[in-house]
Amino acid sequence: MEENFTTKWISQLKKGTLSFLVLSILKDEKEYYGYDLINEIKKKTSIDIAEGTLYPLMNRLKKEDLVASQWVEQESGIPRKYYKITPLGLATVTEMKNYWDNLNATINLI
Amino acid sequence: MKFKEIEFKDQSAKRIYLDYVSRVQHATKVLNKENQQEVLLEINSHIYESLSDYPENGKGEVERLLDSLDKLGQPEVFLKPLVAEKKLDEATKTFNPVKIVKALALNIGNGISYAVFAVLYLLLFGFLFLIIAKIADPQNVGLFYRPNQVFILGYYSKNGISYTAYEQLGNWFIPLMLALAVFFYLLITLLLRLKRTLK
Repeated sequence: MEENFTTKWISQLKKGTLSFLVLSILKDEKEYYGYDLINEIKKKTSIDIAEGTLYPLMNRLKKEDLVASQWVEQESGIPRKYYKITPLGLATVTEMKNYWDNLNATINLI
Repeated sequence: MKFKEIEFKDQSAKRIYLDYVSRVQHATKVLNKENQQEVLLEINSHIYESLSDYPENGKGEVERLLDSLDKLGQPEVFLKPLVAEKKLDEATKTFNPVKIVKALALNIGNGISYAVFAVLYLLLFGFLFLIIAKIADPQNVGLFYRPNQVFILGYYSKNGISYTAYEQLGNWFIPLMLALAVFFYLLITLLLRLKRTLK
C-alpha cells in the first residue's frame, strides 16, 4: 500500500514538473524539435516519460505564449517543428526555478 | 506543409506504420483540417526522427518501428488532452453550437467549470425544447404563475389538473424562449471565450 502511494506521488510529481523541465531545457534559447527535446530530457534526467505526452504539453505551453514554434522543411521531405522559448517563457521559468529552490531549501530544513 | 509518408522496405513495417497513421487520423478527426494536419505532421516527424536515431543493432525494420511506436504511446490516449484543448480553441473562435457541444463533451473531465458550462448548455436546449413542446401542447406548456401557489416554467399536467388559467405569456412564450436561448448561447460562448483568455 505504501509503495502504491509513493508510485502515485512520483507519477504526479513527474507530470507536474514536466513543463518546468521542458522550459528549463529551452531556456538556453536553442531551438528543439519534439523528438530532440525528449532526448534532451532523457539525457539530463532519469525521467522516463511516455514520449507522446510531450505534444499536448507543448501545445499548452504554446497556447500560454511560453514557447513559439515553426515548421522547418528537411531534405527528407518530412519537416520538423522547432520550438523556442519566448520572453514570457524565460520570465516564467525563472520564477519557477526560484520557487523550486525555495521549496527544496524548505524541505531540506525539515 | 504536406504530409509525406515514411518509406519502408519491409511491407509489414509499412502496414504497421499506416495503421498507426490512421489511428492518429481517427483520434484527431473531430478537429478542423488544419489542426488534424498539424498533429499528423508532428507525430510523423517524431516517428521518422526516432527511426533515424535508432542504434544499429541488427534489428529489422518491423522491430525498430514497433519499438519507436511503443515509446511514443497509443495515439488515442496521449492525443486526448491535445485534441480536447485544440477543439475548445476551435469552438470558442466561432459561434457554432455543434462545435461547442463537442468541445464541452471532450473537456468535461478537465474541471468543474466545464461541467457547469455543460449544464448551462443543457438549459439552453431546454428552452428550445419548450418551444416545440408549446407548439405540440399549447395548453399545458408555458409560464404558470400564481402568487404563493404556482410557479412553473415548462410543462405541467398531472392527474387531470392543469394550470392553464395561470399561464402568463400566451403567444409571447415562444419568442421569449427563443430570446432566452439566444441570450444563453451568447453568454455561454462569451464566458467560455473569456475563460480561455484569462487562462
